[in-house]
Amino acid sequence: MPEDVLLDDDFLRQLMNVGEVDILVGVPSHNNAKTIARTMEAIESSFQRNFWRERGVIVNVDAGSRDGTAQLAMEAHAAPRDGERGLNSLRTVHRIATHHGNGAFPGAAFRTIMAAADLARAKACAIISPDSGNVTSESVANLLHPIHRDGFDFVAPLYRRSRFDGLLARNVLYPFYRAAFGYGIRELHSGEFGFSGRLAAVCLAEDGGRDALRAWPEGWIATSAVSSQMRCCQAFLGARPPAPAVSGTDVVAAIRGAIDGLFCLLESRQSLWMPRTTAEPVQALGPDHDIAPDSPRINRKRILDMFRSGVSELRPVLQSILAPQTLAEIERLAPEADPQFRFPDEVWVKSLYELAGSYHRSVISRDHMIQAFVPLYRGRIYSFLLRHQESSAEEIEADSESLCLAFERLKPYLLDRWTAKS
Amino acid sequence: MKDMIVQGLAQSYQQVVRTFAELLPRLAVMVIIIIIGFVIALLLKRIFRWILSLTKLDRLSEQSGASHALRSAALPSTTEFLSRVLFWIVWVGFILLGISALGIAQWQEQISHIFQLLPQILIAILILFVGLLAANFFSRAVLLASVNAGFRSPRLWSACVRFVIWILAISMALEQIGLARRTVTTAFSIVFGALMLALAIAFGLGGKELARQTLERYLGDKRREREKEEEPSPL
Repeated sequence: MPEDVLLDDDFLRQLMNVGEVDILVGVPSHNNAKTIARTMEAIESSFQRNFWRERGVIVNVDAGSRDGTAQLAMEAHAAPRDGERGLNSLRTVHRIATHHGNGAFPGAAFRTIMAAADLARAKACAIISPDSGNVTSESVANLLHPIHRDGFDFVAPLYRRSRFDGLLARNVLYPFYRAAFGYGIRELHSGEFGFSGRLAAVCLAEDGGRDALRAWPEGWIATSAVSSQMRCCQAFLGARPPAPAVSGTDVVAAIRGAIDGLFCLLESRQSLWMPRTTAEPVQALGPDHDIAPDSPRINRKRILDMFRSGVSELRPVLQSILAPQTLAEIERLAPEADPQFRFPDEVWVKSLYELAGSYHRSVISRDHMIQAFVPLYRGRIYSFLLRHQESSAEEIEADSESLCLAFERLKPYLLDRWTAKS
Repeated sequence: MKDMIVQGLAQSYQQVVRTFAELLPRLAVMVIIIIIGFVIALLLKRIFRWILSLTKLDRLSEQSGASHALRSAALPSTTEFLSRVLFWIVWVGFILLGISALGIAQWQEQISHIFQLLPQILIAILILFVGLLAANFFSRAVLLASVNAGFRSPRLWSACVRFVIWILAISMALEQIGLARRTVTTAFSIVFGALMLALAIAFGLGGKELARQTLERYLGDKRREREKEEEPSPL
């Protein structure tokens, strides 16, 4: 274990008391008092029902919660199921806890959990987010089984989502990651995934990529698995509760974090993605593009207005990020009438690749570049909302696939922009 | 009479010749000092440019938008601009040194005043440059935040920030070279106070509705909930 992963004495003592385990589930938390008890119960219940012969431990890593999350995590226990009596498991389900920083970034918690997994020689591990709100004993088992039973090293989740949820993942992260790294992993931003003890050891031994780990821990871990030729899959975890519509400030914060994470990863793994020319599918255990019928109330007019005002007001900033032709194309789109409005795939992909190149060369402040990109994201999202108001899951999937192919077809353009001198 | 005129002319001629003979070596010294100064200033300029290129100042300047502002004013890159400023300051210093070598008493005092001012001028230029960097960076940050939050007139907010930072930098620079200290401080206070008052009046009268909405937004949860129902969750 590298020296920079510092585990405090108390946590090490707890780990030594537990000894070696077969499965380990980490729960990073920060002010999750409302959901932490349910999450811990679901994990414990999963251990009792699905892994009753295995030695298991639940590790809570709290980032300085002020609402008693850490205490609730240790106190919650799974109630026996109806009709169940006596012993549920042949093993004691251990529960240990530590804390790091005050509201620190999730990458630090993930690293602590990986270090614990490495020390406890866990074979199958998972990270479960109390934020997701849909943790069940089955979903925990679905993340752990492919590793424990089938020998996979990394398991990404798949969900049944509301049609308009996760549009940044659908329009940017998934197709971009697939085109660049050649692996189609759909959900790398949910805070939930499974990994083997072997992968934990590889990740801990890796030097560099600290920024990527801080900004996008799941992306960093998935890419470590890919680069080490380890087996990856995606497992269906069930329905994800529809995310409530969010304010503009929340959208900007989410985009800043996600895009920065993606580009940090591109910078730290250049030797991996640059020579890659083909994309291969990642095995999905269960449905991979299920859509729930409900969707939140959305103020579409405001999204379009913000796209239009952003393009006109931020022209000088966009000029330093985008190629003149791409900017001209976007400016041509802006005044289009409501029902005809379309943000074409090619313009979208080119603008993202140009943003990546400008980010790499730091033509202006990186944070400013990503903020300037937000109005373009709104334009693209508006186009998506218009187009898929009544679409079926298959139609949305076909559209998503066509966007992925555009990303892959234009990858030479990304290389061109990435390596350009100015 | 005639002899007196001839004698007077001869004396004047001798005086001029003597003065010129005394001045000529000093003139030569002045020219030599100016030439040596030029060479030293040129060397310093190159060394300074090399040091600045090592510090990647141009990249910082590009990121903050200062380079764009310099280009708009038909000025060269930041590194080149600062190197040229150093060159001129050093060379002007040598020129003044050369002039003082002429030994003209009336000029000595003025030149020593200018010499005392030179470091202050250099610091003032640096203050202006940092002000330019800060004004560009913060005005762009305000522009982006205003556009993404859907505020009206984002360019006006951005321009206000740029203006305030520029006023602050200019008054600091003038204060540094000791130019009309009281006037500058008073002028800055008046401009800044007037700007704030204008904003307060504009917000209070012109933006009564906006002020009410802003207060309600902060105090009323219902309105906040309604405002949240705007955009789909990105992740």
